[in-house]
Amino acid sequence: MNYLLSYLIIAEIYALAAMSTNLLIGVTGIFSIAQGAIFGIGAYIVALSTLSDTLPFPLAMLLAMLLCSLVNVAMALPSLRISGDYFVVTSLGMQFVLTAAFTNLPGITGGASGLAGVPPPVLFGVELDDSQSFIPLATLALFAGMACYWVVMRSPFGLLINAIREDELAVSAAGKNVLMTKVGVAALSGVYVGVAGGLYSTFLSFIDPSSCDISASFLLLTMFVVGGARTLAGCLIGPALLMALPQALAVMPIPSSAAGPLRQIIYGALLITFMLFRPQGIAGQKL
Amino acid sequence: MQRNLLGSTCCVAMLLCALAAPAIAQDITIAGILPQTGPSAAVGLQERQGVQYAIDEINAKGGIRGHMVRVNFDDNQGKPDQSVLAFNREVDLNNVPVIITGFSVPTLAMAPLATRKKVLMINPAAQSNRLGTASPYLFNTMPLTRDETEVLVSYVVRKLNKKTAAIIYENNAPGIDGRDDFTANFTKLGGKIVSDDPVPPGDTNFRPMILKAASNKPDVVFINIVSGDTLPQFNEQVMQHVGFPPIIGNTFATPAMSLPGSEGWYYTAIRGSLPADVEQGMKDKFGLKDVSVYSREYYNATKNIFAVVAASLIDAKKPLTGENFREELLRIKTFEGIAKFTFIGNTAVRNIDIMQVQQSKGVKVGEGTVE
Amino acid sequence: MLFLQLLVDGLVSGCAMGVVAVTFTVIYTTTQVFHIGHGAIYTLGGYVVWYLTEQGAPFVLALPVAIAICAAAGALIQQQLYNRLMQRNATPLVLLIGSLGAALVLENTLAAVFSPNILNIVTSWGNQTISLAGVRLSLAQVALLVSGPVLFGGMVAWANYTALGKRTRAVAANEFLAEITRLEPRRVHVVVLAITSGVVAIPGALIALDHGMHPYTGTLVLLTATIAMISGGLGNLVGAFVAAVILSVVQTVSTIVMPGQWSIAATFGLFVVLMIFKPTGLFVRSTA
Repeated sequence: MNYLLSYLIIAEIYALAAMSTNLLIGVTGIFSIAQGAIFGIGAYIVALSTLSDTLPFPLAMLLAMLLCSLVNVAMALPSLRISGDYFVVTSLGMQFVLTAAFTNLPGITGGASGLAGVPPPVLFGVELDDSQSFIPLATLALFAGMACYWVVMRSPFGLLINAIREDELAVSAAGKNVLMTKVGVAALSGVYVGVAGGLYSTFLSFIDPSSCDISASFLLLTMFVVGGARTLAGCLIGPALLMALPQALAVMPIPSSAAGPLRQIIYGALLITFMLFRPQGIAGQKL
Repeated sequence: MQRNLLGSTCCVAMLLCALAAPAIAQDITIAGILPQTGPSAAVGLQERQGVQYAIDEINAKGGIRGHMVRVNFDDNQGKPDQSVLAFNREVDLNNVPVIITGFSVPTLAMAPLATRKKVLMINPAAQSNRLGTASPYLFNTMPLTRDETEVLVSYVVRKLNKKTAAIIYENNAPGIDGRDDFTANFTKLGGKIVSDDPVPPGDTNFRPMILKAASNKPDVVFINIVSGDTLPQFNEQVMQHVGFPPIIGNTFATPAMSLPGSEGWYYTAIRGSLPADVEQGMKDKFGLKDVSVYSREYYNATKNIFAVVAASLIDAKKPLTGENFREELLRIKTFEGIAKFTFIGNTAVRNIDIMQVQQSKGVKVGEGTVE
Repeated sequence: MLFLQLLVDGLVSGCAMGVVAVTFTVIYTTTQVFHIGHGAIYTLGGYVVWYLTEQGAPFVLALPVAIAICAAAGALIQQQLYNRLMQRNATPLVLLIGSLGAALVLENTLAAVFSPNILNIVTSWGNQTISLAGVRLSLAQVALLVSGPVLFGGMVAWANYTALGKRTRAVAANEFLAEITRLEPRRVHVVVLAITSGVVAIPGALIALDHGMHPYTGTLVLLTATIAMISGGLGNLVGAFVAAVILSVVQTVSTIVMPGQWSIAATFGLFVVLMIFKPTGLFVRSTA
């Protein structure tokens, strides 16, 4: 039971992170490949706060949400001045800088060994120390995220964002504040990924730089592409499928030394195939 | 509705595989959570081969007191989150009492779970210092970095009279640990570290670090390069440098032993040797030229620790639970196998030898144990 | 002395990176695709040479074969992937993701076939060193130092003086017009990819000879090269090469004053700062 539940919990966490990526890339068109690192910020903040007993879990999560929001906004600002392709490299740069920070500041982040023994979340006096007790929290967070996404996308703000993506110039000419809108989306996206990161480190009781490096960013990107842009279904399908993939590969008779690269080959092939034949992903809208 | 189909097919496939695992009452099932894919896969494979060979040997002789042994190997890709998933899978679905693990970071991630679920974890090769106190259920059969470095430093300072050292280390968890331990031990004995230079993990361009280390003219250079397959390049670049100070290292340096240019290198080796027939058997079975230290240690942990403790429990008619395994291991305390070792706390105390490369072979020049 | 040696080592790496940057610039300005797979082609060059030398072929024979294979691979990607995507009016985002997919497939195929471990090319002469004015260089390094500017000069000459080069620049300048005036931009794209992929095989093979490679070597080199390209000002071949050399030298020499583990972060961090304040790059040439 625990196994199935822990798989579900991780899928839910990635779904939240996928929603964040969706908001940034799919909805606003800010092509950032640094979401893995921001996820890491959320994870580390909550881990550090609860490990050192500085903050109780709910407050630690709020802090993570706030900080990830701010970082996301800071990261999104350059995208306004730089064209899409350039921004990709810039965001990659930020990913590398953050990974270096996670690895090379052992006093703060535990360095390359990471932080172990992160205490499980304590809510209303109850310690959520196994999958069965954790899953209500993760599921609740996911539902809250989905509801929020749904509401926002149908609000005037959501309509504005869509308009900006379709024709930024027209929106600007109509007198709307494009900058503030984009900043708002980036901030919201940061909240999602901060929550995902915080849940991740408290569930696994562990966080290290390898969980939030460039390959994590690529994984989130692939989930977004496969699942589809701008739809809630896409945010759920992408993570579920991509997490089932290694499990499915595990039961196939492939030599071990080829299995890891094979997984990446499949991700790459998925990206190519979807871009060629179905850029909107399985359940998404036009990219 | 293709997405639902794919998703449910995957779930069904997984369930079928789980259910199809025969639940023969007599079998003893343990798990091996190791990287089979990803950057650590090469070492993970060697580790797995060690375990596999031991299990095959045991089963060929009728198992442990008549019970056959099965190992479920799980691929954690070298990652902590996959390790946790694998841990949960094995403990929930298969109720394993013992897990054989590897690599510091995944082991550290699983350690709190081992404590909570009372599952014995045996770590035959990772050496990060934190593993010593990570969990009462985690047992390390190799001395930790701290101990090995202490022996090396003691020899280098006392027997070789070296006063200054430069360090070249790989910028990852074991690399950094080794650097910290070396620095602490070396300065404690009055030595001075003149420079330390990190190498990005897996990078093969060592020239800047070699130049920097040599520029301060230290008595020795301590290298802690964990990715064994970068060592040939390191070797070549050192040779090109001409006039590089003497090099000292630890077990991680072992792959460089047979390379030209490592003549005169000193390094520590955890003493242990496989019986000749086992070594040859492994070479034949897996088509290897050499049996690596990893295969050796994993074979040993499976054959001479796990199987011994299991046999002891069966003899005493105690159920094979993680808790009992742990108690019995601590009770037996001293084991014979590829070497003699005693568990003081959760880590084995073993003989550590100082070797020097002479004519492309490691020759023992000194000895030390840890107090 | 340390400084001088590090400077020269940086120049050597800079030559390799410069060729990558220059070829990448040509691709980007011509096809408008951010061809991340270029790094994988660079790596492929190294692997082909490794494979052939392992079979006993001398390096000088293996290298042309590698060039040919890389050219073919690059052309294939352009023709099968990018051209098709362009036909479907793909947005830059889609092109970028497609390119990322191609890079992942290529690199991991190398890993699956040749194992993910580090491979070394063994030749009888690759590790011999020479000493020039107190600075020691391996022969592979010398080859890089020579081939870098030569290839760079060659690309510039090609772009400016050959018919194909001029045609390429025309296509780059205005694709719509090129389509109408029968310059066959799609064809040009394929040829451009072929040429640039072939050229980039050379530094790939030489670096592999000098200090080994693994399937993912090319990615970081490519990323750093793109930083050079952007910092140098887009479309400017000279800017790209010079920026790459400067970047490489700074990275190598900075280890004297800065702890090595921060060098990648510093490089990318500075780039981020540059992008914020001067998104058009350092050596911008005003173009029409």
